[in-house]
Amino acid sequence: MSGRLAMGFLLGLTLAVGAAPAEPPSYRLDDYQSPVPATLNGQPALDVAQARALWDAGQALFLDVLPHAPRPEGLSPATVFVDKPHVSIKGAIWLPDVGRGEVSARTETYFRQALSALTAGDFSRKIVIFCKRDCWMSWNAARRAQSYGYSAVQWFSEGIEGWREADLPTEIVQPYGS
Amino acid sequence: MPNRRLLLHCALLLPVASFACSAHAAESEETWTGLKAMFFADKPIDEAPGYVTLDAPPRAEDAALVPVELKFPPREKGDRVVAATVIVDENPAPLATVFRRGPVDDAAFDFALRLRVNSYSFVRVVAETESGALHMAKAYVKAAGGCSAPASKDPDEAGANVGKMRFRSFAAQGMAQAQAMIRHPNYSGMQMDQITRMYTPAWYVTQVRVSQGEALLFSLENGISLSEDPTFRFSYVANGQPVRIEARDSRGGAYAQRFSADGAAY
Repeated sequence: MSGRLAMGFLLGLTLAVGAAPAEPPSYRLDDYQSPVPATLNGQPALDVAQARALWDAGQALFLDVLPHAPRPEGLSPATVFVDKPHVSIKGAIWLPDVGRGEVSARTETYFRQALSALTAGDFSRKIVIFCKRDCWMSWNAARRAQSYGYSAVQWFSEGIEGWREADLPTEIVQPYGS
Repeated sequence: MPNRRLLLHCALLLPVASFACSAHAAESEETWTGLKAMFFADKPIDEAPGYVTLDAPPRAEDAALVPVELKFPPREKGDRVVAATVIVDENPAPLATVFRRGPVDDAAFDFALRLRVNSYSFVRVVAETESGALHMAKAYVKAAGGCSAPASKDPDEAGANVGKMRFRSFAAQGMAQAQAMIRHPNYSGMQMDQITRMYTPAWYVTQVRVSQGEALLFSLENGISLSEDPTFRFSYVANGQPVRIEARDSRGGAYAQRFSADGAAY
């Protein structure tokens, strides 16, 4: 069976398995990896083709919000800690942890400053936010960016899995500002 | 946390398109290939039976408390297992513990512990014999989030009880086993403080020694993958000698307690 046909199966089953959950009134606080709504503030999520069109046009800022656990403070120096390479959409900026339901003051400042620098202060800049498929962190982060006043935020709910399944370009990225 | 929809897809599509799920659910040896070189260089490791078995639940109820049991069957002198390294492939700090026996006899020895498992992963044990040969056993465990799961006790409570110990013999239940427990939050350093939303620094039991009289029963050197309140169950036959449990943690804390052979505290 071809990958495309299998994808069709997958999408068909997704629809058959049950409707997407409704949008909650506020941020999702836990159980981040579970079925997500179809919309962000009523606006439909981007599908792979739409995300690709925006990527091809080269105008949108792609933000990956997958969390990143750094080497723990207090870990014995001799202990092996594996920081696995993170594969993202080619050209995307990785802003770890900004999609948690509640964020520390430091993470909040990090997100605001990164957005400001990356958009050069243009609140109407197209922004595409993603992480993995069925990951509420991207939904949270997109909602949060909107709350900061960014008016052209879109949510790519298929995330890196959808992108990779379509064989679109990827690269290994490092957290922004690290 | 397992991806529920993906799991559903896997279940439904397995016969026709299992590859669609392979990136997530596959039991891959890729990570191990790298770890093997890191921890054992180019020493050969086989999976010959009769040296060690590893029992772990295929799907863990609580990823921060995954029970794992090692069993070392009796062997001929010269071929007996003296040490065992427990590795959780996909944990960021994969080396869970290095277990070493004291003087070995010809009897079987069982050893159970509880681990944190951060994502679907092989858990494996590499046993080393008296001759230096390495023999491995493994099990695939579906669990996720064990390293970052919030602590079950608040920091004040955990701090007040740190280093308290329990020892219990199961002889009365007809089992030649005992259990040692060390109260310790065993923070992995990957747990987020629920109030500050910052990572709680790692603070964990690095060394354990359990002795019976003058004889060492076993020792452990641990990473951050042991569960909160590290607890071990092991083969034990009382011989009248007191049992001593000693522990050290990553902040330099040292704890010790002595128990009577039948499990009563001194």
